Amino acid sequence: MLQIDRIHAGYGPIEVLKDVSLEVHEGEIVTLIGSNGAGKTTTLMCVSGLNRVRSGRIVFDGHDLQDVSADRIVHRGLAQVPEGRKIFPRLSVRENLEMGAFIRNDRDGIEEDMGRAFALFPVLKQRQTQLGGTLSGGEQQMLAIARALMSRPKMLLMDEPSMGIAPLLVVKIFDAVRELNREGMTVLLVEQNACLALKLAHRGYVLETGEIVLSDAGSALLTHPRVREAYLGEV
Amino acid sequence: MSRWAQSRASWLKPDFVFLAVALVIPVLDLILPGFLQIGSQMRQIFLFAILGLGLNIVTGFTGLLHLGVAAFMAIGVYAFAILSSEIYPFRFGFWGALALTPVVGALAGLLLGAPTLRLRGDYLAIVTLGFGEIVQDVLRNVETVTKGTQGINPLPYPNVFGYEFVTETYQPWYFLFLGIVVLVVALNRNIENSRLGRAFISVREDELAATCMGINTVKIKLVAFALGAALCSLAGGLWASYLGSTGEPGNYDFQVSILAVCIVIVGGMGNISGVLLGALVMIGIDSLVLVQLTRYLQQQGLSSTANVMSMPNNWKYMIFGLALVLMMRFKPEGLLPSRRVKAELHHDEPPKPADRLCPNCGYPTGTSTVCTECGATVAASS
Repeated sequence: MLQIDRIHAGYGPIEVLKDVSLEVHEGEIVTLIGSNGAGKTTTLMCVSGLNRVRSGRIVFDGHDLQDVSADRIVHRGLAQVPEGRKIFPRLSVRENLEMGAFIRNDRDGIEEDMGRAFALFPVLKQRQTQLGGTLSGGEQQMLAIARALMSRPKMLLMDEPSMGIAPLLVVKIFDAVRELNREGMTVLLVEQNACLALKLAHRGYVLETGEIVLSDAGSALLTHPRVREAYLGEV
Repeated sequence: MSRWAQSRASWLKPDFVFLAVALVIPVLDLILPGFLQIGSQMRQIFLFAILGLGLNIVTGFTGLLHLGVAAFMAIGVYAFAILSSEIYPFRFGFWGALALTPVVGALAGLLLGAPTLRLRGDYLAIVTLGFGEIVQDVLRNVETVTKGTQGINPLPYPNVFGYEFVTETYQPWYFLFLGIVVLVVALNRNIENSRLGRAFISVREDELAATCMGINTVKIKLVAFALGAALCSLAGGLWASYLGSTGEPGNYDFQVSILAVCIVIVGGMGNISGVLLGALVMIGIDSLVLVQLTRYLQQQGLSSTANVMSMPNNWKYMIFGLALVLMMRFKPEGLLPSRRVKAELHHDEPPKPADRLCPNCGYPTGTSTVCTECGATVAASS
């Protein structure tokens, strides 16, 4: 569904991504793990069009995303849950979800998806009139995921959904992602929490200073000595 | 029912209060000949309400600080003059020229916006500020078209079903301006509750998030800019017809722009009723209270034109400045704030509900005493 083919990207004179290639098949959860500054977020931003690649190709659903602007990429069915959640703090939970459905016009379908979002994260239903900014970090993350789903995407890009969130809620959020995937959603997940991400994902890629150094099934990477040493805190 | 529709019902009320007051004033003037007689000056309030509502789309809804609305007002003034004056070949008459004026304004807005709207925050504010000065200088110096400091005159007065407007009776003007204010308010309300309005607000709240929703933020900012410019030009066109002349380009200077900004801030940024109240308060002080006070003091022999300090209307900028400082200190969200701005500036009240987790499954339960996830009873928090 998504092919990233030998992309290079960076900021000014700094080259962040050096020849990164990865692939996500339909119905898969693929995770990209790595330490701070490895280029995980940059990779995701290149896919979502918020950052431009210097060379290489990104193909989504058979279409090259080279000259497609970030807002049009959402119309193509690729929704992003941005790093740091980026919910609209002064809009209510319900309004945030309505914004998520901005590209759609089918009122009934939107209402139906709103119900699905509330079923996935019941706490959002309780909080639907509350302003987004008054939610806890975990609830905001749930809202960000639900909001991204409101555009009925074919694929979800998630940038560190566990960042700064109580561990119990992280488990809830990861369960929800697993549930979404069971219903057919394709997910590319960028995470620092390697253990959780690899347990969730079908396949994983390890990014180190802008290069993919390992790729394998999630369970295989969990037991890979290099991953265990570098990311899972074992000697 | 959506939240958007709900909020609409509760926000409409102040508008009707304003409309009722506006309808009563000319009646008062008529039945109480010796009393106040403020109807004539009310026209200024209407003009600045339109200007404020134009700025509100750009600054209030979309969050772009715009310090050059006077430039678009001036463009409206001159567009109206050139399209309607006898000395130019167009001669569209009052209504034709008034209808085309916002179109010219919107085009000017697009022209300024297209290269500059990628700038953010303060940088954009500086560009708009500079644009305001440039427009004045251009109007002053392109004498073959604008007649320089002399201005273009005379301009046609409106004619409604054969009734010719004249300078001496203000009532027809009053209702014309009021009618246009009502139309502009209705337009603003519709924008606010539309998809476009939501796009404006999302750009103000978080541009990156707006992009992630599939919104082309540059395009949306451009639309906001053009709409704001169109309304400011409309105010300019009305102003020119009421004066019967463009006046001098220096009339549309930074003071006009900053007055419009004050109206939006004092009234309540992003709230349409707030902008109307802001126009009433700010222009009311400027052209009603201070003018009447000066006249009264002169009658009493307490002030004279010889002593500048004794004239209350010379104190207006100090009063505006003081009003802004006091507003920022005590009511930064404005007199009639929008729900969202208030929520942000007073986030200490109401308190954020504690994030209570279900002891059984760890799911957040909010204020409920039963966990929505597993059904376990949650003890009331201390």
